[in-house]
Amino acid sequence: VNIIGKRKLWYAISILMIIPGLISLFVWGLKLGIDFNSGQLSVVRGNASVETVRQAAEGLGFNDIQVVPSGSDQTQIRFRDPSPQAQHEANHQKFKAKLAERDLEELSFDSVGPTVSKDIARNALLSLLLVSVAIVLYIAYAFRNAPPPVSPWGFGFMAIAALLHDALFVLGVFSLLGHFFGVEIDALFVTAILTVIGFSVHDTIVVFDRIRENLRREKGDFETIVNHSILETLARSINTSLTVLLTLLALFLFGGESIKLFVLALMIGIASGTYSSIFNASPLLVTWHNYRLRRLQTAKK
Amino acid sequence: MIDSIMSLRVKFALILVLAVVTTLIALPREDAILKALGLKNANLQVKQGLDLQGGAQLVFQADLAKVKGEDRDQALESLITVMNKRANIGGTAEITVQRQGNDRVTVSLPGVKDVNEAIDRIGKTANLQFVEVNAQSGEQAPLGIDGKDIDSATADYDPQRSQPVVRLQLKGGESTKKFGEITTKLSQSGNLLLTLLDGQPTFGPARTEPINDGTAILSGDMDIKEARKISEEITAGALPVPVTLVEQRSVGPSLGRESVQHSIIAGMIGLGVVALFMLLYYRLAGALAVGALMVYTTITIVLYKLSAFVPGFTIVLTLAGIAGFILSIGMAVDANILIFERLKEELRTGKSFVAALEAAFERAWSSIRDSNVSTLITCAILYFTSSATPIIRGFAVTLAIGVLISMFTAIVVTRTLLRLVIRRGWGHNLRWYGVKPEEVQS
Repeated sequence: VNIIGKRKLWYAISILMIIPGLISLFVWGLKLGIDFNSGQLSVVRGNASVETVRQAAEGLGFNDIQVVPSGSDQTQIRFRDPSPQAQHEANHQKFKAKLAERDLEELSFDSVGPTVSKDIARNALLSLLLVSVAIVLYIAYAFRNAPPPVSPWGFGFMAIAALLHDALFVLGVFSLLGHFFGVEIDALFVTAILTVIGFSVHDTIVVFDRIRENLRREKGDFETIVNHSILETLARSINTSLTVLLTLLALFLFGGESIKLFVLALMIGIASGTYSSIFNASPLLVTWHNYRLRRLQTAKK
Repeated sequence: MIDSIMSLRVKFALILVLAVVTTLIALPREDAILKALGLKNANLQVKQGLDLQGGAQLVFQADLAKVKGEDRDQALESLITVMNKRANIGGTAEITVQRQGNDRVTVSLPGVKDVNEAIDRIGKTANLQFVEVNAQSGEQAPLGIDGKDIDSATADYDPQRSQPVVRLQLKGGESTKKFGEITTKLSQSGNLLLTLLDGQPTFGPARTEPINDGTAILSGDMDIKEARKISEEITAGALPVPVTLVEQRSVGPSLGRESVQHSIIAGMIGLGVVALFMLLYYRLAGALAVGALMVYTTITIVLYKLSAFVPGFTIVLTLAGIAGFILSIGMAVDANILIFERLKEELRTGKSFVAALEAAFERAWSSIRDSNVSTLITCAILYFTSSATPIIRGFAVTLAIGVLISMFTAIVVTRTLLRLVIRRGWGHNLRWYGVKPEEVQS
């Protein structure tokens, strides 16, 4: 089986998978939850209609009330209380009592102020940046003795390309989900993205490790060595993803509403991570290698 | 050869002991077992986060604008002491009050019923008062000085008797003069001086001498800890810091209970499905991996339980933390899969079982190490950037622990079991490792 030979096809598939989400990201962006945007979120048991919630909130002066069903028997109620901070909890208690009168038991309540949400957003971006930088450095270090023709940095940057692929794919899917289904992202979503990044690199490193080993032991064409390194690690890549996806599926189906979206983000990302480590990261090494070879040859002429 | 077989048996025995001990402790009713063994106080519980046991987390922002730069740190520490006192009014549940960054305080209230009342009680601005207590009737009367008149309060040692005391420094001018008059009057009447913070006694009632130089020494039967507490409470009154609630997360008890049940079911199903997959795909090797996975699971649970005894390192299990743990089950088998795939490859080249096994472990190791380090780096960064978001921190901790323990079980446990099996004649069957005899190159 020649995976490397069809690399343009794999790149095309990746691009096609990413583009809708990317467009959505640019046009609609992500629907930020209260963690990043501040506001109030009340989760109640029962299926509340917008009308019922509006009645319950009457006279409390809440803005931006949104009612989003969550699972089969829960409803998320998002709103913004413009009154002074000191009054928020009193208002919330009144609202909670009104909801209870309508048979809507409050399961959880979150309220995040603007200073806190700014901090959470900053920390999220900081951790994304730090993880990416740390991973390039780590791979360059781990592959410092890699035999030519690939430089340690080559491995590092191709792993980052694969990782960006996975992160963008998940972000894109959630941008679409946000626009069409009102799905909001929270602090936990950032954790999911970071875990996906960690897993993507984890997966890519295993293939790279085999390429390095085979480069040491075998003589031959770079493309051929990369190709059979991918094939040798294929069963492992698929089986590992399968076991991780199976555990995540169990969490998704039975783990309760509160972490469903978190688990969904992980599942999408890990599936994408497996694809990118097989069909993007290593083929990109070959593309990059060929590109440098061609440049060297034209330079010689 | 005999030597290494012996050590293999010793290793196997140790693993067996580890498996039995961790299983006993990991079981839900471990307290009964431990009590039967004569261990008292054997109340091991995985500590649950607020999202699992229900309760509220409140984050207060301290307004330090009116406090001088060099006093801010102290003002915040005093604020925390005072909030702790207010939060722990009943002294029951495990309430924690922690500093967060330079100007925030996080209060965790497990199982709190009336959040509104708790917010009012904890979030009010400190109010320090000095009152006169009538020596005969015990009646209290305000004295007209309060926190605004205090410059500082510090815990100190009385140099003569090396006894802990609190040194109270009044502001100069009017405050010192007023305090001098009051103490003179009190010493003449024999009435007592009582210091109140938010209406609760901080120090006294105590006799006083006339103090005209603005420096009062509060002494009595106290150790240095108490002296510090008193000085911090007085400081909180002297540097009143208004606070506002900037974040609140509360989870009702029913949702928490449900989350725990859901997670246990999901974890068991996840574990079962992974075990089934390993058995079907890797046969005998898979069965050994399932054994290693069980050891992995029990070690992890034991670690969660025992961490409660190490202050500062207690693992608080949150919903996201459980997700991290369950995810790490999936990742735990990765090391085994890497080794088994490698074993199949080595067997196909026609190597002997023993040689193939050793080669598989040796060659799979660099992949296992390098790939897990990348996950650990992610966990470390998540941990350090998530001081404000405990849910994320919980996830980073459980995932990292999972990765570390899984490396141990995959390498030590699986390897020992495989070596034991492969040294026996009946272990030499290619099909038991998922290899078809016709695939072997001669």
